[in-house]
This record gives sequence, C-alpha cells and structure tokens, in this order.
Amino acid sequence: MSRKTKLTAFVMAFALVAGGLAMADQVTVNWWHIGTAANDKAMLQKFADDYVKANPNVKIEITVLENEAFKSKLTTVMQGGNPPDLFQSWGGGVLAQYAQAGLLKDITKDVKGTAFGKSMASGVWQVYSYNGKVYGAPHDMGGITFWYNKELLAKVGYKTFPTTWDDFLKLVKKLKAAGITPIALGGGDKWPAMHMWSYIALRLGGGQLFEDTFSGKNAKGFENPTFIKAGQMLADLAALKPFQDGFLGATYNDEAALMGNGEAAMELMGQWAPNVEKDNSSDKTGLGAKLSTAPFPAIKGGKGKITEVIGGGNGYAVGKNAPQAAVDFLKYLDNKKNNTTWAQVSSIIPTVKGAEVGLTDPNAKMVKAIVDKCTFFQLYLDQFLSPAAGGTVNDAVQNILAGTATPAQAMAAIQKAFVAK
Amino acid sequence: MKSMRISNIVRNIVRYFFCAVIVVIIAVPLYISIMGGFKHLGQLRAFPMSIPAPFLVDQYLDLLMGSKGSFWNQLLNSLILGIGTVTVVLVVGTLAAYALARIRFKLNGVLYKFFQLGLLFPLTVASLPLYLQLRTFGLLDSHIGVILPQAAFQLAMMIMLLRGFIKAIPIELAEAAAIDGYGHFNFLFKIVLPISTPILTTVGVLTLVASWNNFFTPLLVLNSPGSYPLPLGVMDFMGEHAADWNMILAFLTLAMIPAVILYVVGQKYIVAGLTSGAIKG
Amino acid sequence: MAKRSIPGGLASRARFPTLVVFLAPALIVFTALVIIPVFEAAIFSFYKWNGLGPMVDFRGLGNYLELIQDAIFHKGLLHNFIIVIVSLIIELPLAMALALIVSDRKFKGAVFFRTFFFLPYMLSEVITGVLWQFIYHPQYGLVKTLFEALLPGVHPPALMGSPDTVLWAIMIVIIWKYFGLHMTIYIAGLQDIPQEQIEAATIDGASKGQIFRRIILPGMRNAVQLSIFFSIIGSFQVFDIVWAMGKGGPANGGETIVTYLYTTGFVRFNVGYGSTIAVGLFFICLLFSFFYERVIAREAT
Repeated sequence: MSRKTKLTAFVMAFALVAGGLAMADQVTVNWWHIGTAANDKAMLQKFADDYVKANPNVKIEITVLENEAFKSKLTTVMQGGNPPDLFQSWGGGVLAQYAQAGLLKDITKDVKGTAFGKSMASGVWQVYSYNGKVYGAPHDMGGITFWYNKELLAKVGYKTFPTTWDDFLKLVKKLKAAGITPIALGGGDKWPAMHMWSYIALRLGGGQLFEDTFSGKNAKGFENPTFIKAGQMLADLAALKPFQDGFLGATYNDEAALMGNGEAAMELMGQWAPNVEKDNSSDKTGLGAKLSTAPFPAIKGGKGKITEVIGGGNGYAVGKNAPQAAVDFLKYLDNKKNNTTWAQVSSIIPTVKGAEVGLTDPNAKMVKAIVDKCTFFQLYLDQFLSPAAGGTVNDAVQNILAGTATPAQAMAAIQKAFVAK
Repeated sequence: MKSMRISNIVRNIVRYFFCAVIVVIIAVPLYISIMGGFKHLGQLRAFPMSIPAPFLVDQYLDLLMGSKGSFWNQLLNSLILGIGTVTVVLVVGTLAAYALARIRFKLNGVLYKFFQLGLLFPLTVASLPLYLQLRTFGLLDSHIGVILPQAAFQLAMMIMLLRGFIKAIPIELAEAAAIDGYGHFNFLFKIVLPISTPILTTVGVLTLVASWNNFFTPLLVLNSPGSYPLPLGVMDFMGEHAADWNMILAFLTLAMIPAVILYVVGQKYIVAGLTSGAIKG
Repeated sequence: MAKRSIPGGLASRARFPTLVVFLAPALIVFTALVIIPVFEAAIFSFYKWNGLGPMVDFRGLGNYLELIQDAIFHKGLLHNFIIVIVSLIIELPLAMALALIVSDRKFKGAVFFRTFFFLPYMLSEVITGVLWQFIYHPQYGLVKTLFEALLPGVHPPALMGSPDTVLWAIMIVIIWKYFGLHMTIYIAGLQDIPQEQIEAATIDGASKGQIFRRIILPGMRNAVQLSIFFSIIGSFQVFDIVWAMGKGGPANGGETIVTYLYTTGFVRFNVGYGSTIAVGLFFICLLFSFFYERVIAREAT
C-alpha cells in the first residue's frame, strides 16, 4: 500500500466515522396513532411538526391507522417483536401482556417523582403500569355514557335521559312505537355491545362484584349468577328490537353515522363519540347542540350505584426499542399546553391537571363531571383482561345478542378464557 | 320443418333471456360502483340504482389528484409486487422446471414430488410461522417480504405447468442442439425459451393476476400504509371513510380499472393458462 | 470431452454445479418459505404460546383434543363443506349450462357473453367483497331498496347482520365471482370434443340429452375434473372474501377454517392453537387430495 492510498484510506475512514457520528445524532421516532378524524389528524401532525422544529435532530414518522386496522396491525408487529416507538394504548391487560413479554420500555424513572409524573393524578398512571412499572402515558381519561339525540327524545316526551332501567325500557318502547331506531349499535365490531353488558353487570353487582371476580374471591367468576342475569337482561333488551336493522353486522363507524345523521336516538359510547359522529355524518357536522349525554341508568334492586363508571382513556405506550427522544416527545405531547389544545380540538377529557380549561364543549364537561364524581371506576373489560379473555368477552356478548348462546353458555365461555391465563 | 324453426326460435329466446339475466346480475354491482362514485352521499343512500344527479366528479378527482387516499401510490405498489413476483416465478421456476424436465439425475423424481407438495399447502396454513420466518430474515414490512412468499407458494403450480411444456419439446431439437455443441444453459436460452413464449406468458399472467388480487400476504407482511398494494389499500380506505360510501365506491371503481385493462389485453393468455389442464393434453 | 453434457430428453446428465444453478434457487425459496413454515406450524401446534415470548408451555396433544371439541372449528368446517357443496350443485351446473349456450357457434353474441361472464373473476376478492357489502347494506343497500320498491310492507332482510343468512350472502358473492372461471374451463373442454362425433350422433337420431350424456360429458372429463379441483381447493382456502364481508361474523355465522385460524393466531395472540387449526386444515386438504386422486381422477382414467 503506497503512502497516498494509505492517506486516502485514512481520510475515508475518518469521513465514515464522522458521518456516522452525525448520523447517530439523528433519531427517528415511529408513532402510531388512531386519530383518523380530520381535526385529530391535523392537530397531532402539528404537535409533531412543532416538536421537530424545536428538536431538528429528531424525525417523527407518523402512521395513522383506523381503530380496527390498528388493532390487527399492532398484533402482528408485536408478534414480530418489533413494536413502534410510541403507539396507541388503552392500558390494562393488553398493555400488561406486552410488558410481560418485554416488548415495552420501562419509563418509570421519567414518571415517578418527576414533574411529568406529578402533572397527572396517580390513578391514571395505574392504568398504564404493570407490576409497579410505568410503560406509557394517557392523555385522555373518560367514561362510557349514553349519548342521545335530544330532539328525538323530546318527540316521545323525554326532556332528560332516564335514570332507571325501567324508565329506560319505557323510553325504548316509545321510540320504537314512534318509528325511531332507539339505539345505534356497531355489533359487528363487538366491543360496543360488550360495554352494554358490562354496564348492566356493574349496575347489578356493583364495583365489589368486579373486584371480587378479579381477585378470585368470587369463586364462580363470570359464572356468578349476577353476570348471567346481566346477560339475560341484555337478551331481554335485544328482544325489544331496539337496535338498527342488521346491527350484528354493523361497524362502530356505522353506529356513529346513524347517530351523526340523526337516524338513531342514542348510543352507549366513550368520550370520543361526538367527534366520531361528526366525522361519519353525511354533512360532517354531526348533531351539534342536539346531542347530550347521561350516565347509564341504575337498576332497581342492583348493588351498583349510578355513579359507578366504566371507562378508560387513550394514551401512548412506549416500545422496547424506543430512543429517549420518544419519551421526550411523549412528555411534550402530554404537556399542559398541548393537553389543553387537545381538549379544545377533539373534546378529550384531559389527564393533565389544569388542562381542563381547554374543555369548552358542554358534553365533554358533563362526561368529565361524571368521571370526577365516580364512586368506582372500571377500565373497559376487553382492555382490562388479557387479549384472549377480552376477546372472548366480546364474542360471548355478540353470541347472546345473536341468540347463538344462552347467557349461561356465554358466561361459561368467558370464565373458561379468564381462568386459562 | 316449420315446427323445427319455431322450436329453434323458442330455444333462442330462452337462451338469450337466460344470458341477459346473468349479464344484468354481473352488471348491476359494477354499475352501482361506477355511478355511486359520482353521487352525492344523500342521493346514494336514497336509491343505489339511480343515475347521478347532480353528476359529481369530486370523489374521483380527489382520489386521482391524491387529496384523499393514495390511489397512485397503491397502484405503484401493486405493480411492484406483481412484477417482482412474476420475475421471481419465471426465473426460478423456469430453471427448476428445465432441470426437472431435461436433466437426468438421481433425485429427479423425488424432487418433482417435493415441489408438488406445495399444491397441498395453502399459504394460510403456514402463515404464523411464515411470519416469524420473515421476521428472522428481516423481511417484514418490505415488498421483498411479500414477493418471495407469493412466489414460493406459486412455484408448485408453475413448475408443473412449465415442466410439462418443456418436456413436450421434441427430442430431435435437443439432439440438433447437442450436435451444435450446446450445453444446458445455451439450450435453455437459445432454443427452449424462444419457443416457450406462450407458456411463459401464461405463467406470467396467472402469477400477475394472483399477486394483483392477493390480500392475505400483504396483510400479513406490510405495516406501513405507504407500502400497501390496492387490495390492502381498499380495506384501509374503507376503515377510514367508513360511512362515505360515495368515496369508497369511487375508490373501488378506480381499483378495478387496472384489472379490467389487464383482462382486455391479456385475455387470451389468462384463459389459456386457466384452461390448459382442461384439455386432454 | 466425453463428460460434456448433452441435452436431449431425460437421458442427458449434467455436472453437479450445473444442477445446483438450475435447482438451488427454487429449492431454497420453496424450502425456506413453504416447507419449513409448515413444519414449524406442526411444532407450534403442541404448545400454548402467545407468539410474544419464548415457547415453553408444552401441551402435548392438548390443543388437538381441544380442536376436536371446538364448536367454532366445527362450525367453520361445516361452512367450508356447505361452500363446497353449493359450489358443486349450483355453481358448476350453472357454469356448464352457460358454457353449452355460449360455445354454440350459431349463437350470436356468444363472444360478448363469454368475455363478460368471466370479468368478475378478474376483480380482487377484497374489492368484490366490499362492493357487495354495500349491495347488502341494511340502511342504503340495493337489497333493501329493491325490497321496498317491489314488496312494500315486507321487512327487508339484513343479510350480513344475521348469523343465519351471512353465509348465504357470501355464497352468492362467491358464485357471482367464480362461475365465469368454471364456464371458461368448460368452454375449453367443449372445444376439445370433435364436432363430427356430435354431428354423427345427431344423424343417428340421438336426442340432445343422450348426446350430452354419452359424448359431451365424457369428452369433458378433464375440464370437469379441473373445475371440481379448483372449486374444492378454493372453497377450503377461502379467506379474502369472507374477511372483507364481516370477518367471519356475526356470531361466527360466516366463520370458515381460515378466518378462525387468522382470528385465533393474529387477533387473539393464540399462536399455538392457531397452528393446531392450521394443521387441521392441512390434514383436511390432504384427505381431500387423497380422495381426489383415488376417486375423481381414477374414474377419469
């Protein structure tokens, strides 16, 4: 090797190393979210753009997926052992399963005792923790309530939403008699129907029943007579034919479209309902001031109070290979200013203390009041349980509605999946 | 004779009526799709068979100009997957089929049977481990990761078709080539390939159609919407524009056009390929 | 020089490196992506495994015992059989009737009909499925509006919204899409039958039915066999259309083996049991191909 070639080689090697160092500074954060509604998408894009402007060494690659598509896509990347750096998560049992498999990054040190951790109530961190370690952060935490069309309810003489199950059934019958579809239900996606059964069970058995079931104190588990009775009450409700034609094959988006177009009187849904209704309505405006919300009615003789809530929220979990920049970006997303904007734009129920000033929508404020005053809080069952058990709960409720399983059979299936672990 | 003519007329009426009914059954969904794309959502919901009034081009324009969905990108992805799969099947399949048809070696029969095993396995049977296998090779979320499995699962059928054809090439041709001092490669490239154009086209077109319409493999392998081919894009678009059926129908119509063009251009080969087993060979 | 390879029939030999060049690519691709995964599926099928961590929970034949008693698997299997049987007794005869009509040279417009009838086969399953979802849409679909226009007062059925009708709704789409393929296969078979034979029989005074049974059907053996083969294999592997039309639901009403396999393995994280379903499907395909070789193919020869 001549001196000249040696020198060239040296220069080249140096250039490579230097280039490598410069490259090392440049990090990419993969972010999967499900904000497909136009306003969500634009807002989240702006958050990312602003962050990148302030941190030019970070590149944020955004993947926007529709809810159902997201769930199936995430499962495959998880089985591929390759989680995105930041991704939509509802916390609970699904998050726990990922954490257990070592697919998530432990961000406890960024949360415990830090300003970030103190910016939210400790209870909401619980939902995104497993074995005392935190794996993600929520930005939205609300409850499932009945969303109803005031105009349609007024037509049958209801100025407010019923607070008892008997009155609720009366309302359903009156709407039905008036030729109005009482309840919009995306039964094909299963989870919307599942919430209906779990609320009935909660009203019948109260929070204690749920806690005892998960702790094992309720030896019969989901085969406890109260759960079976809840299934029977759902079947009885279905016998009144309160749902739109073909609801068993309908998606959640179909449900939202029916509400948004004023073609059905109510839906049982989470805090995002108004936004999704708007996005799925023909004229993209939704019901506006005609929409209102109320807690799931109480059931006479039941142990549960009307103040007990099933709910949950939205947040982002951190993938195992995420760079520190992903955690920084997560903190940025969930800072007070952005959480406030978020509440303003898409009426989420903000988790950051003080961000509620962004809540201008009266319905969102009502949901927040319901959640704030709740005496028991249960995370969505299909997210709270493991994916296999949660999926079985969804299937079982659909089978009850389709009449392909008796409530007892459906509960036996859930119990089997629940104990299978 | 007269009664014969009358019965002929009756027969023709029955036949035309029968065919006309089938034409309508095929045409109506296509009509609804094409016209639905030109309608306002309100009109579409009232009666799907009506003629668009007003006639809106917005939906199609939005899709074609790229302000909604990513039709062109997905079309390109479909083309990449299709051409990639065809290339792999033709190159790899022809080489193997030639060897199995023309070269004598100990395991020839066994190997042919081995490849034929592929006819028994639908891709879905192996989907879970295939997914893990692709992960090991680092091929997830890449077009190659779709192309190779698609090609692999087509190989059995295609090797069978190609081998049959190459085997049928007259021995005399081979002998003449041998006298000219050709080796196997020369013989394959200078004599076999040129006269095999029809079967190669058939195999190519069949593979292209299969790849074009495939949903399962891309669903399994691809994660980034930017790399989606049309069938996956359709499902994705459907999820995102759930209630906007006029948009969805416009997208469906656009997504159908390339397949229709391919059919018009390659009809002869498609039919020949599908029916080559139907004729007593 | 004597060892120089001489091409010509199967009699010729080749040096080992030559063989490797010809066969290695196909062998590698085929083995790595078809054979090995199938074997792995067989291994997974003995474990309880969610696909995430290491595979440790060996269950022996546990998954298989569960599969045998699994009501949803039975349902899927039954649905697959229904699809096969309906294809064989409705779709194929329909295709045969059309093939006989449009292969008559004196029938004007035959080429148009032939071309048009084949068109749905070219459309992707997913596109077809989504399009038909709209036709069946319970609020805006064609089925609903036709019912309202033609049978006022009759409640239009929501075909995709009931576990009792969803399979039939899908079946209609399967026939819509695939009858043209079978028709085309039959046309090719018909063209293979010498016209003189039919003419001679006509002169001998044979009836149309006799000609069909004695000459046409036997002459089309290969075509019929091929079409039966496509139809059965296609029916057992059907996924795309079903997935695009309700993902096997509602309440498993449209479930087939493959949708169940996909849901179990990829949606429910049950990779072990999903593989057991896959192996089950493999054995069913194997059984069928045995039956096909022994019964259908043998009858022909």
